[in-house]
Amino acid sequence: MLALLFILFAALAIGCALAVVAQRNPLYSAISLIGVFISLACLYVMLAAPFIAAVQVIVYAGAIMVLVVFVIMLLNVEEEEHRRTRLKFLVPVAVALSAVLIAEVAFILVSVQEFRVSPTAGGSNVGVTSSIGSALFTRYLLPFEITSILLLMAIVGAMTLARRGGLLSPNARVIPGAQLFARSMVDPMAAPDDLRAVEADSTQEAADLLGMNRRDRNESA
Amino acid sequence: MEPQLSWYLALSAILFTIGVTGVIIKRNVIAMFMCIELMLNAVNLTFVAFASFFQDVTGQLFVFIVMTVAAAEAAVGLGIIIAIFRNRESLDVDDASILKL
Repeated sequence: MLALLFILFAALAIGCALAVVAQRNPLYSAISLIGVFISLACLYVMLAAPFIAAVQVIVYAGAIMVLVVFVIMLLNVEEEEHRRTRLKFLVPVAVALSAVLIAEVAFILVSVQEFRVSPTAGGSNVGVTSSIGSALFTRYLLPFEITSILLLMAIVGAMTLARRGGLLSPNARVIPGAQLFARSMVDPMAAPDDLRAVEADSTQEAADLLGMNRRDRNESA
Repeated sequence: MEPQLSWYLALSAILFTIGVTGVIIKRNVIAMFMCIELMLNAVNLTFVAFASFFQDVTGQLFVFIVMTVAAAEAAVGLGIIIAIFRNRESLDVDDASILKL
């Protein structure tokens, strides 16, 4: 029964992985990759790792692939055109070499002595969230903290890469204090439900619009 | 018959090899990035299989760290891809083969 489930999920994973490589439209590759992630999550559940399975679906299929699909939509990627003939002969060479690699790995695996321990036998406690949490915060605390710094670096790096121009270039559309008011708030003679937008480009201008700067006006007068 | 450790290792090797083939074959840079993620997942499967068959939680913790690193790499890598696309107007890897714009 477990062997049947393994073969089902493994076939699903391999099929979706082949679809990732074979598809020419990158959006179809992204959908197939989500299929790979979900079948791998099912395999993790079979291996008594429910926390890792949940994190796999949440982080990989739910965050990373959404980001990739956003970027594909943003850049409006089209299908790959017909391959240029210059490097076309390398494709079957790559497939042949990968078949050789699979054969080598299969030979190694067949000659490895099999283990008797099964992942789900005898109430194994390895993959339960509490055991992962207790190990993560006691014995592996240093990698955990370093990972948080790594995430901070990724955030700063992504923001720096996505910015156009240098620091606060004149074309930057983010001005400190820029705000939007409803016309009914700013104009005392407008109807109370007049929600047309009045744009203020800085805090000073917003204060002028709201009539909050009488002190300054008296000083400069 | 229960699935043996070697079955999981073989599946992981097959997925990794498919990922390597994809990185070599694909010309679209986002598709190459997705094949790199496929390779990372194959290695994750190896770690989880060893963790469960040796009853050691260290493998699953490493998978946790690998997933975090993959998420960070996805953010920065896609930022680089967008920056390259802004300058070259093309997502073809062969067009970005020299460093000069």
